[in-house]
Amino acid sequence: MDPSLLNAPEADEMEPKKDVVPVWLIVLMVMLLYWGAVYFDRQGGWFSPQVYAPYRNLEEVRAYQPGGGAGDLFELGRSVYGQTCVACHQANGLGVAGQFPPLADSEWVNEPEPGRLIRIVLAGLQGPMTVKGQQYGAATMTPFAPILSDQQIAAVLTYVRQNADWGNKAPAVTPEQVAAVREKIANRSQPFTAPELLSISPAE
Amino acid sequence: MNYGALVFLGAFVAVSLSWFGMVLSPQVQLGRQTQGTNSVNTAELYPVQRPGLAREGLEVYRANGCVYCHSQQVRQSGTAVNVILTDAGTNAAAAADALMKSRAGVTDANAVGLSAGLPKAILTDVDVDRARAAVEALTSAGAKAEIEIVPVGTDIAWNWGIRRSVAHDYLYDSPVLLGSLRVGPDLANVGARLPDANWHYRHLYAPRSVVEGSAMPAYPYLFERRPIQGQPSPDAIESKDGFEIVPTSEARALVAYLLSLRADVPLFESPVSVEPPPQETADTNSAAGTNVVSPQASASAQ
Amino acid sequence: MNAPGSTKATPLHGIASDAIDASCRMPLFVLFGVAALWLAASSVFGLIASIKFHSPTFLSEAGWLTYGRVYPAAKSMFLYGFALPAALGTTLWIFARIGKVGAAQPFFIAAGGALWNLGVLAGVIGIFAGHSTGFENMEMPRYAAVLLFFGFLLIGIWTLVTLHERRDRRLGVTQWFLLAALFWFPWIYSTAQLLLVVWPARGTAQAVIHWWFSANFTVLWCGLAGLGVVFYFIEHVAGRPLHNSPLAVFALWTSLLFVSWTGIPAGAPVPAWIPTLSTIAGVVSVVPLIALAMVLVPTLRATDVPPSAGGEITSHRSAWCRLTSTVPGRLVASGLVAFLVAWVVQLICAIPSVNGFVQFTWFTYALSQLNLYAFLALTLFGAIYLIAPRVAGMDWPWPKVVRLHFWLAVIGIALIVLPLAAGGLLQASKFASKASHPELSFVTVANGTLHFLRISSIGEVLLLLGHVLLAGNLLTLMARCARARLAAAYESAVAEVRTAEVKP
Repeated sequence: MDPSLLNAPEADEMEPKKDVVPVWLIVLMVMLLYWGAVYFDRQGGWFSPQVYAPYRNLEEVRAYQPGGGAGDLFELGRSVYGQTCVACHQANGLGVAGQFPPLADSEWVNEPEPGRLIRIVLAGLQGPMTVKGQQYGAATMTPFAPILSDQQIAAVLTYVRQNADWGNKAPAVTPEQVAAVREKIANRSQPFTAPELLSISPAE
Repeated sequence: MNYGALVFLGAFVAVSLSWFGMVLSPQVQLGRQTQGTNSVNTAELYPVQRPGLAREGLEVYRANGCVYCHSQQVRQSGTAVNVILTDAGTNAAAAADALMKSRAGVTDANAVGLSAGLPKAILTDVDVDRARAAVEALTSAGAKAEIEIVPVGTDIAWNWGIRRSVAHDYLYDSPVLLGSLRVGPDLANVGARLPDANWHYRHLYAPRSVVEGSAMPAYPYLFERRPIQGQPSPDAIESKDGFEIVPTSEARALVAYLLSLRADVPLFESPVSVEPPPQETADTNSAAGTNVVSPQASASAQ
Repeated sequence: MNAPGSTKATPLHGIASDAIDASCRMPLFVLFGVAALWLAASSVFGLIASIKFHSPTFLSEAGWLTYGRVYPAAKSMFLYGFALPAALGTTLWIFARIGKVGAAQPFFIAAGGALWNLGVLAGVIGIFAGHSTGFENMEMPRYAAVLLFFGFLLIGIWTLVTLHERRDRRLGVTQWFLLAALFWFPWIYSTAQLLLVVWPARGTAQAVIHWWFSANFTVLWCGLAGLGVVFYFIEHVAGRPLHNSPLAVFALWTSLLFVSWTGIPAGAPVPAWIPTLSTIAGVVSVVPLIALAMVLVPTLRATDVPPSAGGEITSHRSAWCRLTSTVPGRLVASGLVAFLVAWVVQLICAIPSVNGFVQFTWFTYALSQLNLYAFLALTLFGAIYLIAPRVAGMDWPWPKVVRLHFWLAVIGIALIVLPLAAGGLLQASKFASKASHPELSFVTVANGTLHFLRISSIGEVLLLLGHVLLAGNLLTLMARCARARLAAAYESAVAEVRTAEVKP
């Protein structure tokens, strides 16, 4: 048998040496922690829930969004249209006779300046109006100012105005244009009427 | 240092610190995530709860320890940025000029050549700021260009996903089984990769019958051998000598879960260019949220 | 150590180490004995799981024998059946021995051990039945966790009381590490159990909590418990004081502070700040590693006897030679080497690019085996081989088998860790080469690791043999001890009856 198994030496009493933690080790730890802070500042996204590697901060995530220019707005607009407008104006943009005017190939939609359109979406529209020679006005357009953002309104108008399938070809609408109009009519609580809109210059 | 209480207090402080940083804070941030609009480009809600059968399937997945061989997370090491010219516009000269500016070495003549056969990538794997500048230059020249975002990385090269996985992808799963070892391939996007339920049934019943040399164990206990009564069952994976092999409810749930595993929706925090949805769903926007950049961009993204 | 006002050794208070050992007999027999059985069972199922890689149809007819249940059951048996009870028993004995006091309430500790083992049994059956929680390293279902909790409570409380009642009031580095481990486990386990199983967190918060638990359990708790045993062997078996014990305490605090934040992989599907913090903590963990190396290397190399150590040490061998002169010491020394290697590798793996390279490959598995088996299990084997004959009051029935187990364990674990680490690196490089080799198929990569897995299966066989030897040796020792005590009790009873018969 292995006697050492039972009789392994056991030191009962010991006095430790009076040693200390070397200063350089603490300095190293502080330096590493400083490096950690710098590294976190660069890579950590500052606790943002939307920053994932390989992106390092929110600006980078924004910069890497796909699309570009108006194409971006167009696709967002398709989605907004599908959720918000399609019930009345229909998927083909032709509306419903007498009630909901068509957007396809409409002279209102294809105006070079979008001022009137933005007003209709923001504040709504009621009363009779003429589109492509037909009378409409049995229904009222809802004001979307409290529901849709400038970005979403610009997107849906861009989608409608640039929808080649509908025969529309008008310049895109920017969120800035929507924001400017929103500010101008901020105090308005009533929907517009067609004559009132026609009295406003589309460029305003 | 003769006080056990000191060890207790010190350990308490240390464990509390790490608990605060690694348990509480992530829980506050991730545990309170909600369904949201999936991307800057569409307004649809993401994620959606898995269907009931698929949720039962997660339980089968958990109980049989699939997680020990399969991960469910796609990693991404970088992002490639391309510029796609979709429309040269009417002012050919201005577009050519913009092209020349954004791409060194393009002369007037082949700039016009570039405008043919659209859409095409005019810049590949460039700095994101340069790509933005090129798109702006082309747009102001009356042309149309888009930025195409292509995530890159080992997992994406393996076709396990088109973008990295993010917290939103797992919002409604419990337990969240991310896995730690890849004896088998990653399953984060298996529903999009292998959408055929019958393939999965056969694979579970006898893996080597569909994947040669597979190391996956067979799961015969998820199937039932029963005599054929009248017509053979439509979902029988094998029928011989008056008997047929049909999946049990567990196998059905598991396959429903596997098919529900998709991580191909572009999100703000994990941007990617993808294929557009079919036209009819694009108009009514009722189908599962799929972002659209442009048909052309995604064609080259795949 | 450096007790205020007690630079002189505290007297023994007249309690013999035999009596202390005897007070630990019942709890340690329960904790060690059942642990050895769990260990043997664990390696049987581990071997089955390992064989399934080479022949996927092996034992695939029954649901409870599928790989995804056998593997977690084997791992749970190892972690909860063997490692935790063995570490708890060792802690109790070391506290009693260093504190020169008998175990407080041995019966309750033994009852706690029984309750704990009942919990493990329920948990393992639950895993086989498909009730696993799904979270690696804590698969045992909720009902088992309740039993584990109360079992741990009984053991832990009376172990603490044993420490509290110590007659030698000094509290050394050994006790600090073991005490920290004793606190750490219930903290992290209950937190994880509550936030993952009882009131599950939402989404990937679960994954973060699970990673946090895994790192704190398999790296930090395992490190604390194993190092506590290592320090005990150095100070009390090799009989050498630590070179610089304040530095060891510094290592303890810094590892508690930093290692407890590690474990989130760099590519995890969580916002960047979480893996970034984990990466930083992983890199800063170099500080406790340096501190430990600065304590251990000079201590183990020192050949002269410090005058302050006193005692009757006459040899001039280095502490390392003294430590490795016995088989238990050799086991602990091998564990220590594995620990240092594992920590260095963990540090390298904290670098995000390295982390992403080896993640999901057999390399990470090999690393965790290095930590859990090559370090913790070997260290605990050393402790069991040292402690069990003392509490039994007799030597091992087959002392040579102890030596044989040492070789089986060391060679076996080397045959697991080294091939799997190599295979894992190969697998990682093949994974990474997909972008440049699009024709590479997954099956090719997976089957490329099969040779390495075959070698590791041989390692599993060796480990299994070693575990059977340990269990046989230990259970026979316990049986002989029990028989001897019964015989003695019978003798004294008979003698009493005889004297009673003679008297009238």
